[in-house]
Amino acid sequence: MDYSRSELADRLAADYVSGTLRGPARRRFESLLPAHPLLRTAVREWQARLMPLTISIAPQKPPAAVWKRIEARIGGAVPAPPARTLWWNKLAVWRGVSAFATVAVIGLAVLLASPGPAQPPVVVVLSATGTADGAVPASFVASISGDGRAMVTRPLVNVSLEANRALELWALPGSGAPRSLGLISASGATVVKKGQALAGATALAVSLEPAGGSPTGAPTGPVLFVGKLQL
Amino acid sequence: MSATSDWSERSRDLAQLLARAGTGDRAAFATLYERTSSHLFAVVLRICRDRGQAEDILQEVYVNVWRAAGGFDAAQSQPLTWLTSIARNRAIDSLRRAQTQPQLQTATNPDDEDSDVYDDMADEAPGPLELLSRASDARALSHCMQDLNAPQRQSLALAFYDGLSHAEVAEKMGQPLGTVKSWVRRALLSLKTCLEQAAGRDDERSETRS
Repeated sequence: MDYSRSELADRLAADYVSGTLRGPARRRFESLLPAHPLLRTAVREWQARLMPLTISIAPQKPPAAVWKRIEARIGGAVPAPPARTLWWNKLAVWRGVSAFATVAVIGLAVLLASPGPAQPPVVVVLSATGTADGAVPASFVASISGDGRAMVTRPLVNVSLEANRALELWALPGSGAPRSLGLISASGATVVKKGQALAGATALAVSLEPAGGSPTGAPTGPVLFVGKLQL
Repeated sequence: MSATSDWSERSRDLAQLLARAGTGDRAAFATLYERTSSHLFAVVLRICRDRGQAEDILQEVYVNVWRAAGGFDAAQSQPLTWLTSIARNRAIDSLRRAQTQPQLQTATNPDDEDSDVYDDMADEAPGPLELLSRASDARALSHCMQDLNAPQRQSLALAFYDGLSHAEVAEKMGQPLGTVKSWVRRALLSLKTCLEQAAGRDDERSETRS
């Protein structure tokens, strides 16, 4: 289906926002959103049209226990640094995903020129998020072997890094914390052999870390690139 | 005070609170919760009915809002619209998971054709149709609601407020699925066209004023 057709995009968005789009269709629609700006715009417009209808529902005060549980989840009364905001759940991270996709596709054609064996490799484009200070305007491509065991990453444009910084690759599972896939080269190809860590991953991300990688086992620096994984 | 202008006004203060929450300001987030949780809880409760489940959903919604607040773009949507959308999405997703345990009461007496479709709702909450007419206090929305015929209004209200699927609306209204689908679709399209025209007229007015 051609989701760039505005009429269809608008109809699906209306069904999605009004709530009648259900089940697998709803999930499929949600998975399309990051890569289709037209769909996102249509959704935003329908939300703006329909959400004010909820104003006539009489407010219901939730029990105090709900706030207590929320407070506990977000770290209690202790003020945390902004970094505590879990970036991999931030919607903004996904916003940049499509930005470089078109450019990256040209790069892909080159990378895919040598056809693989039985199972074709899966290629993930990691686009610049553009959220970090001094973020480098480039993207990465990760090609994963058909059996999911090996992965090669390479930058489409050389990424310039300060001497005491390194890029670390992460597998993001559907829920839970990111798993490190190790450091990757900012200027050339890196062979990543951590097939196990890819199981259940829904996206890949590259963060800026101190030389030697994240000291904590979780991303500590800004996320520079992110890409959805669709196996 | 009209519904949509009230909506916009409430949103203005909330934009600041959201922005501050996005930088890790817990006090701002607490205020945001105070001002919006009763609305979101009511929206969720209307869809999923089960109080315990609604509380869990509300908790998830705000934990997500806390995490995503930094990514909120006030230029793209109104805070209350954004928050309500997140809550509605969560509530609708919960229906998907609870599909194995149907939550709808089936019609009490299929022979009684005169029975109102809302008779079997045990609570005293206003029916979805009544909510629709209350929400249409705003001039534009009210005008646009008049363009809908009764079955269009009713099917849209059931789907939107109560989170019923097309099939559930069809069952509730005792109408074929295809008919209900086209009612909801036409209701949505008619609202869209009408609201766009109203917005166009507003623009013209403000242009002639300036």
